[in-house]
Amino acid sequence: MVTALRDVNLEMKPGEFCAFVGPSGCGKSTLLNLVAGLDLPTSGEIVLDGRSTRNLTGYEWTKIRRETIGIVFQAFHLVHGLTAEENIALPLMLRGENGRETAQRVEDMLERVGMSHRRKHRPAELSGGEQQRIAIARALAHGPRLLLADEPTGNIDSHQGAGIMSLIRELAISGGQTVLLVTHSLAAAQAADYVWTMRDGRLVSRTERTTELVTP
Amino acid sequence: MPAFLRVLLLLLTSHVRQWPLRTVLTIVGVALGVSASVAVRTANVDVLRSFEQAVMTVAGPTTLEVSGGETGLDEQVITRIRRIAGVTSASPVILQTVVRMEGGQADQAVQVVGLDLLAEVDTRGFRLNQPAKDNQLLDMIQPQAVFLGAQLATDWNLSVDDELDLLIGTGRLTCRVAGILHNESDRTSSWERMAVMDIAAAQITFQMVGKVDRIDLVTDENMAVEDVAQTLRTVLPPHMTVERPANRTRQVEQMVRAFRLNLTILSWVGLLVGMFLIYNTMAFAVAQRRREIGIYRAIGMTQSRVAVLFLMEAGLFGCVGGIVGSAAGMALAQELVTLLSRTISDLYVPVGAGEGGLFRTGRFWSMMLEGIAIGCVVSMIGAVGPSVDASRTATVRALAPGDYEASRQLRTGMLAVMGVSLLVITGILSLPGPIGGVAVSGYAATLSLLAGLACLAPLCVTGWSRRRRYVGREGGVQGVMRGIAVEHASRSPGRNGVTVSALMVGLAIMIGVLVMVRSFRHTVELWVTDTVLADVVVAPSMWLRGTEIGDAGRSLPPTWLKVLSSIPDVAAVDSYRDVRIEVNGQRVAVVSRDLRLHAQWSRYLVRKGDSSEQLRRAAETRGLLVSEVLADRLGVEEGSTLEVMTPSGPVQFPIVAVFYDYSTDGGKLLMDRALYQSLWHDDLVTVFPVYVSPGSSLDRVRERITDQLRVATGGGLPPLVISNTELRKEILDIFDRTFLLTYVLEAIAVVIAMLGIVNTLVTSVLERRREFSTLRAIGGSAEQIRQLVLWEAAYLGMIGITLGLIGGGVLSLLLIKVINKQSFGWTIQMIVPIGAVIQAVVLAAIATLVAGYFPARWAARQPIIDGLREE
Repeated sequence: MVTALRDVNLEMKPGEFCAFVGPSGCGKSTLLNLVAGLDLPTSGEIVLDGRSTRNLTGYEWTKIRRETIGIVFQAFHLVHGLTAEENIALPLMLRGENGRETAQRVEDMLERVGMSHRRKHRPAELSGGEQQRIAIARALAHGPRLLLADEPTGNIDSHQGAGIMSLIRELAISGGQTVLLVTHSLAAAQAADYVWTMRDGRLVSRTERTTELVTP
Repeated sequence: MPAFLRVLLLLLTSHVRQWPLRTVLTIVGVALGVSASVAVRTANVDVLRSFEQAVMTVAGPTTLEVSGGETGLDEQVITRIRRIAGVTSASPVILQTVVRMEGGQADQAVQVVGLDLLAEVDTRGFRLNQPAKDNQLLDMIQPQAVFLGAQLATDWNLSVDDELDLLIGTGRLTCRVAGILHNESDRTSSWERMAVMDIAAAQITFQMVGKVDRIDLVTDENMAVEDVAQTLRTVLPPHMTVERPANRTRQVEQMVRAFRLNLTILSWVGLLVGMFLIYNTMAFAVAQRRREIGIYRAIGMTQSRVAVLFLMEAGLFGCVGGIVGSAAGMALAQELVTLLSRTISDLYVPVGAGEGGLFRTGRFWSMMLEGIAIGCVVSMIGAVGPSVDASRTATVRALAPGDYEASRQLRTGMLAVMGVSLLVITGILSLPGPIGGVAVSGYAATLSLLAGLACLAPLCVTGWSRRRRYVGREGGVQGVMRGIAVEHASRSPGRNGVTVSALMVGLAIMIGVLVMVRSFRHTVELWVTDTVLADVVVAPSMWLRGTEIGDAGRSLPPTWLKVLSSIPDVAAVDSYRDVRIEVNGQRVAVVSRDLRLHAQWSRYLVRKGDSSEQLRRAAETRGLLVSEVLADRLGVEEGSTLEVMTPSGPVQFPIVAVFYDYSTDGGKLLMDRALYQSLWHDDLVTVFPVYVSPGSSLDRVRERITDQLRVATGGGLPPLVISNTELRKEILDIFDRTFLLTYVLEAIAVVIAMLGIVNTLVTSVLERRREFSTLRAIGGSAEQIRQLVLWEAAYLGMIGITLGLIGGGVLSLLLIKVINKQSFGWTIQMIVPIGAVIQAVVLAAIATLVAGYFPARWAARQPIIDGLREE
């Protein structure tokens, strides 16, 4: 058995923007998956909003993701068959909300990510950057308090990547969201308040945003 | 092993390991299709082989048989036959069926052969195991002496000198086991399941003194058998037939040909549906391995070898499915053969239930090989399309990043045009008549109909997925789930079209056959209600066993007419006689009764005019009423004449009327009893229809009849005294039994179609693991994922059911108006059994959802993180 994470002890305060950087296989995505409840730890504990998640059932994790967490993926993971606006509305609909307010909320999110003009397009008709904007809008549509971003610039060029990171920061700050970013891009990590460097499943160092980051 | 085969084996095993569930599903589908086909074929062969074996065993060295039909022959004929040049020996034969009585109850029916034992003991292929006695020869020919086949003696636990109670016709006879009958060689034969009596004893026992059923001839080896037969035909009276023993098997084969053909074709439906399943599996395999194919092509594999690779994979599935299916089919056939022989005995001629000796006769391996061949061929035909598609893979595009399949467009429009054209062709094919008595164009029309609808399926899959706006609609979570499901289904019109087609074929055949059978049943019910009007029918005690009981068990003495007529409250008694003869090569039932009496009390459903009037006219003009089936086959109608060979010579009969009849598919001639007796010299009666005076108690009359006739049977089983209601029920029971097999075969086809749905949904779920994981990651619950897959199943099911309903409707018309009419000649009044059709649709819908449930559950249980990792 491979131990993906060991001795990882950290606390994030509401509204903080924290990035985790490190080489491939260092455990940063595993950490994010554990926080999202997509994977379960063999030992240790994750506490969300002061509540231990140790004995949560699958459905309780679903409810937490539905209400508290938004996730942005490297590969966008938009639903191919749905339009941009339907993808954004999806988390709300999964909660059973789909009235006029939902439509308004989707409209707002489209505007905030600058994609109103592409609302009827399907993922295959959008560029990588545009798809990631829709994915961000989808992650924030239901107003989560925790935004998890897994390599959000990994599948797009550096120019679009910078735009995506500033969009995440801008939306998170205005929405008061706590952001946990996982990336191997130092440029992307610049958007965070502080950066944890990871190696071989351990937290190696913490660097504040004001400090110049060096390659780990 | 050649290098290519080694590569092939390597790749095949890796693919099977990669997709074990799909492999199992596909093999099970093929196995089910093969099992239905093998079971029906085995049962069909077994039943006829059993008949043939019995015929040939009894025939022994016989080269020609002289027969006088059901009414038998005068034994004096033997003297004339022996004088004819080329006849080496002529032996009298009586062949009758008796029923063993066990504790006062009727048990098993057994064939009794009456032979000149003193002359023939060593010629027929059996030996008699008889205890050594002083008067051994005398013992052999005693009236109650019966020799039992070894197998029968073992089954019944009887040995020499034991007593045996037999029911012969209406009488009961206690016989003595004079010896045990063994086959001469070590092989098993029909003798072991028969009983033998001396001819003189048989004549007494079966009340045939001076008569025999048949005369078996051995002809001179130096003369052509056909020449001797020709001489015999010129010398003997024209109503006597001279034929080779094997001809009887051929006649029976001919008689049941349409019945067997329809059954066989129905058994192929499972294979047809299985073909869709294979297509589906292979199409998925090709799509899944597109990049792999690109690599094969890049490293030097030729186009044809790529195609062969996939064809061989399908062939392997077919081979394994064939092995499993053949074994299952032969096991199923053991049950089927009983049902089939009962049905053939009910409707046509008595046939045994087969010996089931597949292993002994070596047929096991030939059927196994046949099943494997069927499985392989069907699978490879199903895989032709995907294999050709694989061979045409554009190497560069397959190796490039991106979705190869997304860049390919199925020509749904083109397919739809083909579909419509095929439907037009269906209409055209339904017009021509049969070829050699077989509804060739009718079957072609059915195939064209199903192919046409299958071509329309991809268009339906894409066409119905019209975009709707989901955002902002109240309560739209279900709507959006449906939307995702529909959209996804419409993204693969080819694969899903095939699944929908499989369901469509299964359901269309289910509904088509259901409507046909229910319409037929309705028509028979109407016919029974309109024509079976006698209050009580007096019949031989074993009459309800149909032809199984033989001729002796199917007749009553004419003297009972007086007994019955004298019973108080009996208003009228008819004497009904039913014997089989040949008219223009067709086996026909000759029915005789008192037509004037029948005109007064009952009726026939005549095609033209009034029943009573036509019946009276037939009696007055010595004319015939002919059943619709026979009129069509012989090409005669009201007003024409028909020549019939009678024991009194050929007679030209005027045809007074044509009537609807559903009691036999061989056709029926009806004439007045007096006319029949004068020509056939036969006084026996098959049944007595009894009409009770109005207002009298039916139960009381029945009791009186039973009491009076119990005395007349001399200790035998009392005759059956059946009420009108019981008789009608019995007729409909026989009808339902006949079609029981049909339902079994349909069910197999539907199960295979369901496997197709499971197959498609498993494919869909495998392809969409990332999508499902995404939905879970953004807040979707496991329950919602389950619903999504179920919606997709429901969508495909809805299209399949809609097309199946359309196909079923048209198919029922083809079955009733074209195939049935051309194969059997019956006019069936079409009804649509709404309730039954709804049941079939609900069943298909439930089956679809059940088929969708397991992939849905599996999808919902997959770890989210695994799906998100997939690229």
